[in-house]
Amino acid sequence: MFYFPTIKLKKNSEPIVFIHGTGMDHSVWTLPVRYFSRKKRDVLSIDLPGHGKSSGKLISSISGFSDQVFQLLDNNSIKKCSIVGHSMGSLIALEMASSQPHRIKAMSLIGTAFPMQVNDQLLQFAKSDVQKAIDILTFMGYSNQARIGRNKNPGMWMTESTRRLMQRSNKGVIYNDLLACSNFKGGLEKAKKVTAKVQLILGSNDFLTPTRKAVDLIDSFKNPDVKEIVNSGHTLMVEDPNKVLDYLIEAL
Amino acid sequence: MKKPKDLKPSTLSLHAGQRPDSDFGARATPIYQSSSFVFPDTETAAGIFNVERAGHVYSRITNPTNAVLEERISALEGGIGAITTASGQAALVLAITTILEKGSHLIASKSLYGGSHNLLEYTLPRFGIDTTFVDLRKTNDIKKNLKKNTKLIFGETLGNPGLDVLNIPKVSKIAHDNNIPLLVDSTFTTPYLMQPLSLGADLIFHSATKFLSGHGVVIGGLLVDGGKFDWGSSAKFKTLTEPYEGFHDMNFVDEYGPAAYINRARKEGARDFGACMSPHTAFLVLQGIETLSLRMERHIQNTRSIVDFLDSHQSVKSVCYPELDNHPDHKLAKDILPKGCGAVFTFQLEGNKETGKKFIEQLNLFSHLANVGDAKSLVIHPASTTHHRMSNDALKKAGITESTIRLSVGIEDCDDLIEDLDEALTYSTRK
Repeated sequence: MFYFPTIKLKKNSEPIVFIHGTGMDHSVWTLPVRYFSRKKRDVLSIDLPGHGKSSGKLISSISGFSDQVFQLLDNNSIKKCSIVGHSMGSLIALEMASSQPHRIKAMSLIGTAFPMQVNDQLLQFAKSDVQKAIDILTFMGYSNQARIGRNKNPGMWMTESTRRLMQRSNKGVIYNDLLACSNFKGGLEKAKKVTAKVQLILGSNDFLTPTRKAVDLIDSFKNPDVKEIVNSGHTLMVEDPNKVLDYLIEAL
Repeated sequence: MKKPKDLKPSTLSLHAGQRPDSDFGARATPIYQSSSFVFPDTETAAGIFNVERAGHVYSRITNPTNAVLEERISALEGGIGAITTASGQAALVLAITTILEKGSHLIASKSLYGGSHNLLEYTLPRFGIDTTFVDLRKTNDIKKNLKKNTKLIFGETLGNPGLDVLNIPKVSKIAHDNNIPLLVDSTFTTPYLMQPLSLGADLIFHSATKFLSGHGVVIGGLLVDGGKFDWGSSAKFKTLTEPYEGFHDMNFVDEYGPAAYINRARKEGARDFGACMSPHTAFLVLQGIETLSLRMERHIQNTRSIVDFLDSHQSVKSVCYPELDNHPDHKLAKDILPKGCGAVFTFQLEGNKETGKKFIEQLNLFSHLANVGDAKSLVIHPASTTHHRMSNDALKKAGITESTIRLSVGIEDCDDLIEDLDEALTYSTRK
């Protein structure tokens, strides 16, 4: 499994593991990865199997993805880590923190909800007309304001950047990921098993995982720290990168 | 399920990249005429410098007013990001030097703006970058001239001044089959007439001085990255795939994925070459873009009427405009430029160089100057001005003769323009 940066981990390292969402790759975490690296923290920003630079067969379930990430940690003799996950990545993080709670120190879930049920029509598009699915995900992935622009990262047009990243996905990836999100069960019970310090970063204008759909999940964690970014949509790391980084610094 | 409704081009022309100013509610884009930006604390400063936080440092690299323009042109072109530059020429230099270095080669159209031709023919070879000029209509010639070190194919969407229509789907296919990006100069077409990225181009640059601004009061350029080209698919593009010592050993493909190119261009080219656009210029270009669709509609309408007028005039030998049946790219133009073939075209007068001189000097509304794309109508004699450094052979290849006149049709009342042309034609060809 590819991860970035390709560093030699320190002995007894407790890295921060960043897990991307549907059809994405490690490049969505460039800014926080640069921050934590500068602060001499070990960081693994991974490309899930079949995504980005990672080869390997696609995995059709959140628990399968979670097993693969643990496998990567085991291969690198990592006993403990903190995890950050966005969207589908947040479900993988939740699965990891509930299945092996002793290994997760802190966890930040960005743009999350449970259940993360995907609309049937969107799933159908992802299977038969992936460009349409990408267009819908891009459109709904941003707040109304962000679709007009004014990126805090100068000169970059947010929606097209996201669209382009998803267009790079291998065949079947978007459908696979959306289906994995939809099929993820028992999220609330899993949340109750988590012993790690938990943070949720949510966008008040998120159309894909609206804050109201995160309420039950929030209630299932013990003392979660909930951060809401006003006016942000689902793509919080692009829409408000500095606030997301500030919150991650607090949590990790 | 809510159907995605992306904003239409004329809406993006007015809104993309800008929200009302959060401090005072200004509806227009404020001009941030500031060389630099205050950091709230040393830690934030370190973060912005290390590109772990978004923000502005110094206006040579980024500026909030310029950023609005960069987003706006990206939105209109369907790109992922853009960089404003001091001129269209600076945008071309930035486009090339971001991925080519000493020992690199590019293939360029033989029908280019004189300034672009100068850069490729005379200046870049001094830095070890060589160009082969070919007729991009002849796909075999492109293939024949590809070398191991060829890293770019470059043409104008509408060649200058013969209006060769670049067959972007065909040329980009050859480029992509050989792991090479296609760069196009879309100054004559603007996003109103054509979106080159959707046809297969990878990079676009504009002279924003022209139609995008329309007012003829600024010099500026724009470089747009489509974000589609896979820079990591070959070992050709080392500036993007290998650690860059000049920026903490950054590997742009690893860190930015689809945005590798535009990030390298900013972090190296904008930083080191320093050919930046002033925020005031960015503001003025934005004012122009707000009315782009209205102006282009009128430019095209007037051009079509003037082309018809000249085409049937006894003192005109021929008119070169792709909407005419006799233009070699007529069919292609119908396919990829359905809204029109721009407002710049050439025609040949009956007569000689003297006739051309008299014609230009007799015009009253058409201004004789070295520019195109102004809201006001313009005229020039390419052989003695914009293309005067080209050899006779190169001129011939570009379709320019001693009696070639280039018009840039403005948005005045067309009747007045035709009357001006008619009078000048009558006077200049009087025996």
